[in-house]
Amino acid sequence: MNISNLGSNSSRSGISESQKNVKTFILPEKCFERYAACTWRRGNKFSIYPRSQKTSSSPSNIDNKILDVRQEVLLFIPILRKLVNESNGTYLSLQKAAEAAKTSDNHVEFLKLSRQYRSIIRVCIEGLQEAASKETNGIEKNSLLSYITIFYSIECIWHLCEILYIDNIPGDIVLPYLLEWVRFHFPCHEQTAAQLLEACERGSEDHPEYWDTVVGMVVQGRVDVARALLKLHSLTDSNEFKLLDNSLRSMPVYSVYGGISTGEFTVSWKHWQAECRSKLGSRVLASQPKLELIMKLIIGDYSAFESIREKYTSWFDLLGGWVMFTAPWSRRHALGAAAAACAGMRPAAGRTPLDAMARALMDGDLHQVIHEIQQISDNGWFATHLTDILYHCGKLEIMDKHQTNVTSRLRDSLILEYGCLLMEHPSLWPVGLSYLASCPPEGLRRAELVLERIPVQTEAKAMRVVAEAKKYGLLGVVQSVCTCMGARHLSSGRVGSALAWAVRARNSALCARAADSALRAYCASGVLPAVDFLLTAGSAMLLCDTLLFLGKYCDFHRMYKNREFKKAAKLLVSLLTSKIAPDYFWETLLLDTLPLLESDEPVFSSDDTFEIMLCLELKPLSLTQEKADLLRLALTRNLARTSLSDVDSGGE
Amino acid sequence: MPLEVQGTFVSQKINKIRWIPEEYEETKCFFTGSWDDEFNSIKVWTLESPHEDEEIEYPRALSELPVDGDVTEIKFTEKNKIVVSTSNGDVRLLEISAYEMQTPLREIYSWKKLHNFGIDPCSCTSLDTIDGDIVTIGEDGNINILNGRRGEITRTINGADSCSLHSVCFFKHSEIITGNVRGHMKIWDLRINNNKPAASFLLAGDEMAATCILNHPTQPHIVLAGSESGSLAIWDLRVNSFPTSLLNAHAAGVTEMHFHPENPQKLLTCSVSGEIWDWNMEAMTKSSKGPDNQITTWMPLEDKNAMMVNSLMPTLHKPINTLHCDKGKIICGADNEAVYLIKNFKY
Repeated sequence: MNISNLGSNSSRSGISESQKNVKTFILPEKCFERYAACTWRRGNKFSIYPRSQKTSSSPSNIDNKILDVRQEVLLFIPILRKLVNESNGTYLSLQKAAEAAKTSDNHVEFLKLSRQYRSIIRVCIEGLQEAASKETNGIEKNSLLSYITIFYSIECIWHLCEILYIDNIPGDIVLPYLLEWVRFHFPCHEQTAAQLLEACERGSEDHPEYWDTVVGMVVQGRVDVARALLKLHSLTDSNEFKLLDNSLRSMPVYSVYGGISTGEFTVSWKHWQAECRSKLGSRVLASQPKLELIMKLIIGDYSAFESIREKYTSWFDLLGGWVMFTAPWSRRHALGAAAAACAGMRPAAGRTPLDAMARALMDGDLHQVIHEIQQISDNGWFATHLTDILYHCGKLEIMDKHQTNVTSRLRDSLILEYGCLLMEHPSLWPVGLSYLASCPPEGLRRAELVLERIPVQTEAKAMRVVAEAKKYGLLGVVQSVCTCMGARHLSSGRVGSALAWAVRARNSALCARAADSALRAYCASGVLPAVDFLLTAGSAMLLCDTLLFLGKYCDFHRMYKNREFKKAAKLLVSLLTSKIAPDYFWETLLLDTLPLLESDEPVFSSDDTFEIMLCLELKPLSLTQEKADLLRLALTRNLARTSLSDVDSGGE
Repeated sequence: MPLEVQGTFVSQKINKIRWIPEEYEETKCFFTGSWDDEFNSIKVWTLESPHEDEEIEYPRALSELPVDGDVTEIKFTEKNKIVVSTSNGDVRLLEISAYEMQTPLREIYSWKKLHNFGIDPCSCTSLDTIDGDIVTIGEDGNINILNGRRGEITRTINGADSCSLHSVCFFKHSEIITGNVRGHMKIWDLRINNNKPAASFLLAGDEMAATCILNHPTQPHIVLAGSESGSLAIWDLRVNSFPTSLLNAHAAGVTEMHFHPENPQKLLTCSVSGEIWDWNMEAMTKSSKGPDNQITTWMPLEDKNAMMVNSLMPTLHKPINTLHCDKGKIICGADNEAVYLIKNFKY
């Protein structure tokens, strides 16, 4: 499934394209034969289930099934996960560098990071190669090999892009860099040349690839190597060879720092080429067709290039030579024409995606480049990272059909999509999150939605999700995750944990529910749960009244156990008079006064006793008649005791 | 020689990493335990150079043992035996062959669902070992004492904490200290059978979990705890229950800490914020007379400038979950699915 959200994509191509992108699958199960419905799940996942509008009275005997459908993501295979993680580090460094670049020029840093990306791709290719060499299963091996091809072309295009848009080439003279690119990605005859030079034997022309190698070296712009190879020919002392060697040697080489202007250089270059042309015209080389071919190549003769095109698999091999021998002073924008010329040398050759990308790059049509690289099946890794770095280098300017600048929107949409893709993975979600967080504000909104839905099995995971959410200021997520954990503990009857998470969530409703369940548990069993929590809760108790009440009540128990009866009594009275006790708890509270009332020494003052009496009369339904009478008796007796000598209510 | 850091991506988020000790040669092999993925495993790795003449060594996996749930802790009970806890509540005692590292790990004992919420799964969050005895804790708030030699449960303290426990440490043979999700620390004397803590105190008042506890190797009454908030607390258990010092250390939760086995003045910590630090504790252990004329060898930190803290690695963008050191070599595992080897550490 290729769900591209780049608006121009569909608008440019119209309906036919969208129809082309439709694939039809037949659902394999019998239960879907009549009716099927589908619903979205988390991320790029949906479920298909049988659904009928009519409710049938007889239970059907077809086995109903639910199908989960999800996109197969190439990046999630273990080898490519390394790429995902490592490039994430570089991406985040790049965002920092971009932040710094707002105040100062940070060009070198960008170049460094771009190289880092490329080395990551190289490492990934190495990993894939190693895996492919070990793989014995044919199908698996094939798919590994196809991944290698994908990443080879990614690296190739990235390198070209780096030369043309990320690097600051002195004087904008791209030739040396272009030659380097060709040599690096389309090495040809290099080994043969090295072998021949190492052997260093006269008469090397007997080697079957001798001439191809010499021509190859010329086309790659390695004039020195070509000359050295020519010296190994048995006829090297003949006039023809000397003549060509002389021409090759005297070729002017342009260098920005050479101290001459482009104009001056052009004059001397043209002069040199005219000389070569006249030598060619005088047909002194006619006896040596190969030398004539080389001479034709170095004067930039189109037909000569055309004639050797067959020997190479792609036109990239010829590009360096073509630029070198037609216009070595070419600047970046002139490359488009050169590329067109080279590509046209064998019109019959099919256009590969790599061709299309390279052509678009040299034409300077970055919009087209991005459009092309989105077609690569790497789940958008390349498009996302390349667009991002080009965007930060300030080299990307993309207009929509109304001529408004949509560059940042394009960058954001690619990153958001890539980030969301990674968020789906059970392990890579923090990586995805860091992508989303780098595109505020929409990224964070999306992150919020996805984070809340991440399955959390353990508290360790919950704490990690909370930490990540806090890092990006998503306090809503922090609350909802903590509330969820609390609610889960509460529903399983673990009051302590529920309270701990409710306090973390600062959720007073959940606190109240948890405290309430603790109080009810106490009423039912006579054991107060989560005492260790309540005695150390501190300010957290202020979150809600019920919790405060519970905490104080627990405190009362502690005092009572420690035989601090007077303090306990005072607390109990204040709990009674505060009226925050839930109705069902009045019975417990009132009965708790009984042992204190009956203690050897009076602990309730007469005022306190009146208060308790008042409470008892206000809540007549909370006690049975029998218990109420018992309490009344105790109260009266206490009143009798205290009326003689009252308890010092101020005494602590 | 300067510190040398080398990272290798392993396609698993590493939650625990441990060197496998060697007696007569340099340690080369280590365990990793992964977490937070569809399939988690314990792997044995060795460091080796892909080409003989090269200096750089890369980890290569020797064996893999899949586990259910996340690996939450790996500790040694003997030189070649580890005890592993997982988030589904299981605890396993595994043995690695001393000579043939690539042979799969052999299970000696396993305690299935040692921690549980009835039928619901419950994470066994951490464990600690001392001379073949194992203490495990879980989200259920229970403490189990296991005998690693006989494979039996010696004791269970049910409901040791009403909240979930997250860290544990044997600081004496018969005494353990536990920390829960709120930073509530409890000391348990295992000789007493009343299931009540011998003492309890709070890590800090901020309701953050105690993520790791450690005691000083030469002064067992000194206990350190790392908090989810990134701070580090130090107690002298002889004096009082308030931390001697509470340092705001890392920017986010401390995930693991170790004293260097060869030099107890060196403390290593790593954190959720992606930092790995080396602390020089010398300044904190100068001998001095305390207020009650007792000789304390652990100074309260008045002069916080005296702390010497070095960062061992540039800060990662993802949490570092675990570290382990062996002489001059430190390994750490992180959430960016990489393990880092730090060489030439001066201890």
